[in-house]
Amino acid sequence: MENIIEVRSLAKIFGNQTALADVSFNVGKGETFGFLGPSGSGKTTTIKILTAQMSQTDGEAFVFGSPAADLRKPDKRSKIGILTDNSGLYERLSVYDNLKLYCDLYDVSYTRIEEVLQMVNLEDTKKKKVAKLSKGMLQRVNLARAFLHKPALLFLDEPTSALDPVNTKHIYKGLQTLKEEGTTIFLTTHDMNEAEELCDRVAFLNKGTIQLLDSPKSLRRQFTDHTITVELVDGNKEIIDIGANGASKLYNYMSENKVISINSNEPTLGDIFVEVTGRKLS
Amino acid sequence: MNMSIKRLMAIFNKDYKDLSRNLYVSFTVVVPLFLAAFMGRQGNIALEQQYMVYNLTLCLVTAYIQCALIAEEKEKNTLRNLMLSPASTMEILAGKGLLSFATTLLVLGLSAFFLDYMPKDLIVVTAAMVLSAIFYIGLGTALGLMTKSAMEASVIIMPFVFVFSFGTSLSFFADKYPFLHAADYLPNAQLLLLAKEVELGAGFADVWSNLGIIAIWVVVMTAITVAIYRKRMVD
Ligand SMILES: Nc1ncnc2c1ncn2[C@@H]1O[C@H](COP(=O)(O)OP(=O)(O)OP(=O)(O)O)[C@@H](O)[C@H]1O
Ligand SMILES: [Mg+2]
Repeated sequence: MENIIEVRSLAKIFGNQTALADVSFNVGKGETFGFLGPSGSGKTTTIKILTAQMSQTDGEAFVFGSPAADLRKPDKRSKIGILTDNSGLYERLSVYDNLKLYCDLYDVSYTRIEEVLQMVNLEDTKKKKVAKLSKGMLQRVNLARAFLHKPALLFLDEPTSALDPVNTKHIYKGLQTLKEEGTTIFLTTHDMNEAEELCDRVAFLNKGTIQLLDSPKSLRRQFTDHTITVELVDGNKEIIDIGANGASKLYNYMSENKVISINSNEPTLGDIFVEVTGRKLS
Repeated sequence: MNMSIKRLMAIFNKDYKDLSRNLYVSFTVVVPLFLAAFMGRQGNIALEQQYMVYNLTLCLVTAYIQCALIAEEKEKNTLRNLMLSPASTMEILAGKGLLSFATTLLVLGLSAFFLDYMPKDLIVVTAAMVLSAIFYIGLGTALGLMTKSAMEASVIIMPFVFVFSFGTSLSFFADKYPFLHAADYLPNAQLLLLAKEVELGAGFADVWSNLGIIAIWVVVMTAITVAIYRKRMVD
């Protein structure tokens, strides 16, 4: 598979503080890659280096096969879209006028504005002044702006951090559409459910290094303790091995009609993160 | 270099809409106009006094509006979005300068009308004013890139208003403090010198040194501005 992003031994040091120590990973074409880590772990720093907003102290970062710093050339920038944690909009202008500016800058037809606003559930808000939007609405307009020009590579820095569950779902649907269109997405989050829902692969970032990198599914498999929890009519809960040993036990409970529920003990990504790093995510 | 007029105009149009709704900043255009209208009623205004109005316009309208526009883009984190778009440094800076430029020409023209000023050689004076406007746009851009908010912009511009609009009178004291002769080389002083020459019948050939000095200010200011801008593209 063609790699859209390649990062080798990336390091970033601010004064005497190491934000990234030694980070390496690849992101394949069409992949949604999740960068997970607690606050201050270097997620935004990585995005800034990958989008040429910051230079690394050491190591290499390639985007579309060229050094990330090449994105300082204007004509290379139309292939990427970026939502940062502090992206701004023009407050005295309407949502529509804001997006219209970027249509012109990216050479995109104005009809695209309706399309993206629909994707973020804001089709009724286009005439509203940006100053009058709620925080969640702002975030959604910013997101719409980030993928207005159908970038081949989209960087999203905590895209749903200000959103309620309903709008979060809307965004996920929108991102799913982009994914189906072949967009490569680099996403940072400290929301594990978000990572499960959206990402093909996730990297756990902690203390400036990647501690684990795999698909959510195989991580869960790797970290499962191979048990299930059975809740019985007498109120007790029993943890049963899912191997042959547990089979007869479960068979007995079930044939005696003692079972209320059976639950998998497969860990969530959050559990795995805590286990690997010894740190809570948020 | 291939400049996209579409991108440049998109930024201009956006700024125009934005500024027309920003009374705090756009109100400054009234100050020189009011001054010109007031002085104009007295009739027969000396060139020195007229040029105080024009130099004030260049500071308070040209440089300040530019400075405030850029400072706000920084404050609201929209400048980074522009920098990350396919718009080039020149498209962004020119697009953002165009509005201050157009406003300047309008205010200068109206002021000259109120003051009943008709230079003997309109083309030479216009060329000098256009060149000066470009210098002040560069100054405003550089200051805007160095400030953090539109509020700060209105403070930082003050010393420049003082030196560049009222500073033309600095050379009056030059006999006492010889170092003040240096003030003669400021763009505002050169503009006035040029205007005086023109009234004495000078054409392009006679004022090339004044135009040249202003042009040097433009080149230096542009280089500084682009350097600061490039630096602001990365954290
Ligand atoms: N410009 C800067 N100058 C100095 N230190 C910085 C700078 N930017 C980031 N840092 C430091 O680098 C570390 C990583 O910051 P970064 O913003 O990348 O974290 P993050 O994972 O994005 O956190 P969050 O989840 O809070 O957004 C932090 O300790 C931060 O203080
Ligand atoms: Mg961050």
